[in-house]
Amino acid sequence: MYRSWLILFGTTLLLWCIVGQINHHLAPFGAFLSVGGLLVAFAALRLNLRHGLTATILIALAVDAVEPVPQLGSHLFYGPHLLLFVSAHVLIFHLRTRFPHEETLFGIVTALLANLGIFLGLSFIYIELGAHPMAHTAWLRLFADLGWSQLFILCVAPWFLALQQRALELGKVDLAAHNPRFF
Amino acid sequence: MSFKRFDQARPFVTLGVIVIAWLLVPVAVKSFLRVTFFELQSPVQVTASYVRDLQAYWADRAHSKNELVEAARELGHVYSGYEFQAQQTEAQQAEIARLEQLLHLPTNPGFRFEPARVCRRDMSAWWQQLTIRKGANYDIPVGAPVVYSGGVVGRVREVRAYEADVDLVSSPRLRLAASFEDDTRPVSYQGGDNPSLGPARGIVEFVPPDIITFSTNSRRLVTSGLGEFPPGLTIGYVTRLETGTDGLFQSGEVTLDPRLSELAEVTVLVPLKSE
Repeated sequence: MYRSWLILFGTTLLLWCIVGQINHHLAPFGAFLSVGGLLVAFAALRLNLRHGLTATILIALAVDAVEPVPQLGSHLFYGPHLLLFVSAHVLIFHLRTRFPHEETLFGIVTALLANLGIFLGLSFIYIELGAHPMAHTAWLRLFADLGWSQLFILCVAPWFLALQQRALELGKVDLAAHNPRFF
Repeated sequence: MSFKRFDQARPFVTLGVIVIAWLLVPVAVKSFLRVTFFELQSPVQVTASYVRDLQAYWADRAHSKNELVEAARELGHVYSGYEFQAQQTEAQQAEIARLEQLLHLPTNPGFRFEPARVCRRDMSAWWQQLTIRKGANYDIPVGAPVVYSGGVVGRVREVRAYEADVDLVSSPRLRLAASFEDDTRPVSYQGGDNPSLGPARGIVEFVPPDIITFSTNSRRLVTSGLGEFPPGLTIGYVTRLETGTDGLFQSGEVTLDPRLSELAEVTVLVPLKSE
């Protein structure tokens, strides 16, 4: 049963690496893509709580490892992505039974909303709590980045969600076993 | 019924347990996890960087021999100018050493120049940082200044085995002691924001009230020599100053070089005293 979260972590790590390279090339144009919602969506919608959270925690630690640690006053705040990703995952998991969570369209909407929440959470931590000296202009850039990120997720999410499902099928993971009440 | 209620609350109980556990975990464990997960992804970043260099090499190979010869001739003119300036610099450094000895003045710290390729640019509204392809394997210390041909790039924030993270001069986490060109009075510079489709900006504070700038006649802001940066390195250009609420000092915006977001190679100044 460890294959489910391991495979999912592999796919999310792949997407994270690809987005990192895209951000490298977008830097001269003043654009940045943030895809936290897409990294969390599939695990929260399709896996059971234990394996889904394991995959989410692993990818959150991977994201936190390359991003700077925010400084709140004189203290370092380790793991902002971990706390935000896990919170988004738990919220999606709690609400998923009310919706057709296996549908791709619902997965895309979930990824967009989760990304919005994570983006705003990170902005609050880094801009407001981190005492950004030009907060009023930073929010303009933030909204531009949010727009680009949501557009990117809208384009990439169908492919990525299908990739994750196919990867789990190739790894002989039975998704029905993760949702026993509904099969 | 109570089992159903607990079943519904189970995800939130799990969330609470994870949050509390993470807050209680020692910082050493968090740092270890951070380094471990970074090294897990590091081969991808470094490999992509080498692939880009190889791509640039093959693009250069596609040029005709005549184009390469012409480019080499132009570089030759540039190099001869730099060679003459290097000779002048050597003579001036020898004169400075002689005067320091004569007047019993402390010697300014020297630096070892360590060029490094940029393997990852990470520039958002939250942070601006570069990852370079040299780290502890080249004895790069935390806090070392990083420069390029246009002036200050930033400061090394984190050093790992084979890479290092550099906070850019446009990062709000970076503060420098600065001064205006032809003025020795220190002012404070802090990174500001990195707007879309425009050059990055910073903030200058504690500017004396008698310093005036115009939008058509910006003044160059340079490092003052206080701190780890050697004096005289370009930070940016101040285009606008306004008096603060206390009326004692001015503050303003610093326009930074647009090339900061396109850097492919930088130079780390490793203080000689730290070796």
